[in-house]
Amino acid sequence: MRDVAIIGAGMIPFGHREEDSLTDMLARASLHALDDAGLGESTVDGLYVANAGGGLFQRQFAIASSLADRLSLLPAAAETIENGPASGSSALKMGYLAIASGFHDTVLVSGGEKMRVGPIRRITDMVAAMTHPQAEYPYGVTMPGLGGMFARLYMEKYGVTDEHLLAVSLKNHEMGARNPFAHIRSVATRRDIFDGEMAEINNPILADPLRLYDLCPVSDGAAALVLSTVEIAKASGKPYVTIAGIGQATDTHTLAERDAPTELRAVTLAAQRAFEMARLTPADIHIAELHDAFTILEIAASECVGFFPRGRGGQAAAEGETALGGRIPINMSGGLKTRGHPMGATGVAQAVDIVWQLRHELPADRQVQNARAGLTLNFGGFANNVLCFIFKQGDA
Amino acid sequence: MSAPAPLPLYRCAHCGRLHHPFHDRCLDCKRRDFDIIHPQGNARLLTYTVIVSLPEGFDQPALILGLAEFENGARALGQIKAGSAKELRTGMAVASRWETIRFVNGQPIHGIKFEPLE
Ligand SMILES: [Zn+2]
Repeated sequence: MRDVAIIGAGMIPFGHREEDSLTDMLARASLHALDDAGLGESTVDGLYVANAGGGLFQRQFAIASSLADRLSLLPAAAETIENGPASGSSALKMGYLAIASGFHDTVLVSGGEKMRVGPIRRITDMVAAMTHPQAEYPYGVTMPGLGGMFARLYMEKYGVTDEHLLAVSLKNHEMGARNPFAHIRSVATRRDIFDGEMAEINNPILADPLRLYDLCPVSDGAAALVLSTVEIAKASGKPYVTIAGIGQATDTHTLAERDAPTELRAVTLAAQRAFEMARLTPADIHIAELHDAFTILEIAASECVGFFPRGRGGQAAAEGETALGGRIPINMSGGLKTRGHPMGATGVAQAVDIVWQLRHELPADRQVQNARAGLTLNFGGFANNVLCFIFKQGDA
Repeated sequence: MSAPAPLPLYRCAHCGRLHHPFHDRCLDCKRRDFDIIHPQGNARLLTYTVIVSLPEGFDQPALILGLAEFENGARALGQIKAGSAKELRTGMAVASRWETIRFVNGQPIHGIKFEPLE
């Protein structure tokens, strides 16, 4: 297997992009990545497009073929990759494999989703369609509903408190406010959403015990990466990042059938496999982007990947260990919580943020000093298909 | 007292593992023969939530859902018949009923409804 480099990264601001089509967003993010890689007027060997819901949301499929044409990448090979909310990470994995195997030398990975396409009840229903079609979906369960049931169990078992969830939410709002690519750019205060007289109104319970400020928004957005061999990256003379480890694991479709519904076994396994491949340990990671579709998941995942012992993640967040300047800064993009979670874009966007961190390109209010290794964790479904990536500075 | 909900449980004919929903191969031993049985007795509520942002297809303002474990160890998701979350706590005994859980194109769909027994 050949080593694989990331030589270009691009993103468009997430949010409600009413004026853009799905292809518009994918094309714009892709052009940013191609320009960043210095390939503005050349092509790539292959294109992997991550999209989960175009068939449902836009009545559009075969999206990669459409994007290859829009971007004048012809006759590059092109595929659309669907793996629910982890589609972006899966597309990145396919791009990695294409180069590592020697099949391609340069690849564009582009992820996007246009989700704000109608009344929230309809969108909630379309997203819930990833739950089990007999044992979950007919009951009216939603992804936040699964998150609420998981949160109650996890909080009871491990002593995670509302204060811990609040700490994650406040941090991710603060970082989102500093991130020009984030969907939600407002700082929340403890008084606004927790103990002020308007807190119950500002921050209502949506999926008990989870509240509005515990859940990611519904967003449109896109992000893209250009991958190449390390030889091509070196020849470019520009800073690059390498993909040092990839791990992936699946778990039961239903939450009910897991031996212990609080154990995110696929997260633990995916991280272990990524660390094994990278020959690194959690202590070697300087910055992480974790799948915080719900605040409780950032806490649980920070334990499963090995940053904190089981039951310590909530307290660690409350003590600032996951904030900028803390022991292991998590979600300095604002995470899914505030950058947003356009499903096909998320895994790619997480990687783009880590690339920017490892190239030390971010403004001081988001940049983790001396970051040389980063990690991303992305869920497809409720932790039933999980990908973990480890990235290193090109010359690290 | 009425019988528990006739939820189909798939018991591996080789190792005895209970499954719901159906899998083509046993999650433990990978073999393919199952006996269909049904839950016995009451269940214990493992966790629950109240969702107020409901998907299309539900008309009520909120929906209470929970995971419960039956006496034989099988677990399932169901709707919960309660006025509010205040009536619930984890670990409490619940009965299971087989009732209409939603309507699709005007037709009732049946599934599990748990009812608090305390
Ligand atoms: Zn078996």
